[in-house]
Amino acid sequence: MTQPLLELHNLNKSYGTFEAVKDIDLSVDAGEFLAIMGPSGCGKTTTLRMMAGLEDPTRGDIRLEGQQINDLPVWQRETPLVWQNLALFPYMTVRENVEFGLRMKKVPAPERQRRCAEWLERLGIAGFADRNVAKLSGGQRQRVALARSLVLQPKVLLLDEPLSALDAHMSIRMQGELKRLQRELGITFVYVTHSHSEAFSLADRVVIMNTGRIEQLGTPQDIFLRPRSRFVAQFVGGISLFSGMLKTTKEGNIGIDSADGLLQIADPASAQGGTRCDLAVRADRINVTTQPGWGTNEVPCVLMSEEFAGAVVNLHLETAAGTGIVAQLQQRDLERLSARAGQQVYASWHPEDGVLLGAPALKAVA
Amino acid sequence: MSVLSAKLRLRRRGWFALWAAPLPVWFALFFLGPMLLLIAMSFWSVQNYRLTPDFSLSAWSYVLSLDFLWSSFWRSYGLSLLSAVLVSLLAFPASYAMAFLISPARRLTFLGLALAPFFTSYLVRIYSLQVFLGEGGVLPQMFHSIGLSGASLLNSYTALFLGHATLTLPVVLVLQTLALGNVDRTEMSAAVNLGARPLQVLRHIILPAARPGLSLGVLFAFLLSYAEFVSATYLGGGVFQTLPILLTDLIRGGQQWPRAAVVSLLMMAVLLLTSLVTVAWAYRQKGN
Repeated sequence: MTQPLLELHNLNKSYGTFEAVKDIDLSVDAGEFLAIMGPSGCGKTTTLRMMAGLEDPTRGDIRLEGQQINDLPVWQRETPLVWQNLALFPYMTVRENVEFGLRMKKVPAPERQRRCAEWLERLGIAGFADRNVAKLSGGQRQRVALARSLVLQPKVLLLDEPLSALDAHMSIRMQGELKRLQRELGITFVYVTHSHSEAFSLADRVVIMNTGRIEQLGTPQDIFLRPRSRFVAQFVGGISLFSGMLKTTKEGNIGIDSADGLLQIADPASAQGGTRCDLAVRADRINVTTQPGWGTNEVPCVLMSEEFAGAVVNLHLETAAGTGIVAQLQQRDLERLSARAGQQVYASWHPEDGVLLGAPALKAVA
Repeated sequence: MSVLSAKLRLRRRGWFALWAAPLPVWFALFFLGPMLLLIAMSFWSVQNYRLTPDFSLSAWSYVLSLDFLWSSFWRSYGLSLLSAVLVSLLAFPASYAMAFLISPARRLTFLGLALAPFFTSYLVRIYSLQVFLGEGGVLPQMFHSIGLSGASLLNSYTALFLGHATLTLPVVLVLQTLALGNVDRTEMSAAVNLGARPLQVLRHIILPAARPGLSLGVLFAFLLSYAEFVSATYLGGGVFQTLPILLTDLIRGGQQWPRAAVVSLLMMAVLLLTSLVTVAWAYRQKGN
């Protein structure tokens, strides 16, 4: 077992009585792309800033390659950060921005210039080297910010919502470039974002934070398919939640006894009768019909609204008990369904598509 | 549709005119008018102690041929530049503390205290400095009691500088504090994150970012000191013949308004040039 590159042990940060970060334990492997995600105020940026040394932890340890770095002055740490607003130096040219860190560390001029030129080239901004940074486009500024950090050849690069200032098109292009860079360089990226698409498409592992704690840590697939709590399910979105008592029927089927009837599940790992459970079903696993009799778990509901999302459409349904259900349909399926708002429809899904929240994700669902 | 938009356009023009109108009026009344009068007056002549409209170059040729004009000019320039730089250096640590170390609420208190001397007359402050520094004054007595010379400190550059500082320190303090307060904290953190030590942050981030405000501080201190007459007379004791002293001498010596106008125009030209150069340097941008 190799040593993790970056470790957080029991990390806490309080501002007065407000606890921004509570008991974070996390280890990041060398070469890993880790995304930290959560709603605003969940402590994700504070955690990142503590990794960079810009905030002092109230309690706990930060280790880089096994060395405790809590007490190291910020300027001696090698954890450069790409800032949300980029924080480029406006009174310097592109080249001076990129050379800045090397100059501060007194790297001799020839080496400094060579490394700077290499990174300007690598990020495709060599043509702008003598430009004023204020006169660059969003994407170019983004590259300057990356070059400025990467030229220091860090073992870990911290990124704080780096793409949030870009338009959607540019953001997707930069996502591709970031991923390619990270693979080529083999350095560790710790990437804070509130965007699901960024986190899920870029990261090897995703941390979901809520009110200062880690809510779930896992691969994107893990989190997407097996959210561990109501919070994660709701945060990831596109999930319908039912709650009720876990129960085994006379026929030997396991399910939860919810306000919408008995909803069967296929996962026997967590079958413990009598406990209160939440059941999550992904929107793309829910089938909507105008006639009953299509599936094991079938709930009659009313079609409330349609939400157009390009190739797919989200249908918002409501059951007689008031439970909200989201179903995702292809456009052509919607046309076939030909249902109107206010109409009675049936939502159904297979037992194996229901995920019990809080259940240990041991058995890979085939 | 077109009627409505015409109406709207008229309203917009009216609104624009309302705000734009005072500018040319003020400009003409308080700048252009006096300026033209000054230029015209420099070509007038004085006959029998009476100012007479004329087109004569005698005031120009008289003033420009004075040896002590140029020596006073350079002296004024040098002394006020020195005062401006010294005052700026003296003010900087305090401004730094106000901008970065203390809370915004306290900052206001301190700035208010720094500005408090403005509530008294400048003349009064210079007179009290005279009492402090003169023969038998508070400071010479203190020096005497610790075994130093108890002679008057007046009629020296130190006294003149104290006068200049009395006038300019509060202004410089405010300008510097505002300039430093506007330095982007994220940029400072970014610099530290990239390996800059505190002194390097000061040199490479804070000073360049605050350069316009800091330069304006030096410029204002210079402008105020350059045209300063009261402390040059009462604290410097006229030992340093500066341009403002020359100016009053010219007027006292027989209604020589045209000559005074020439000196004033020269002063203005120099100050304007200095200001333009300073501002151009302060707002210079790197790269293209």
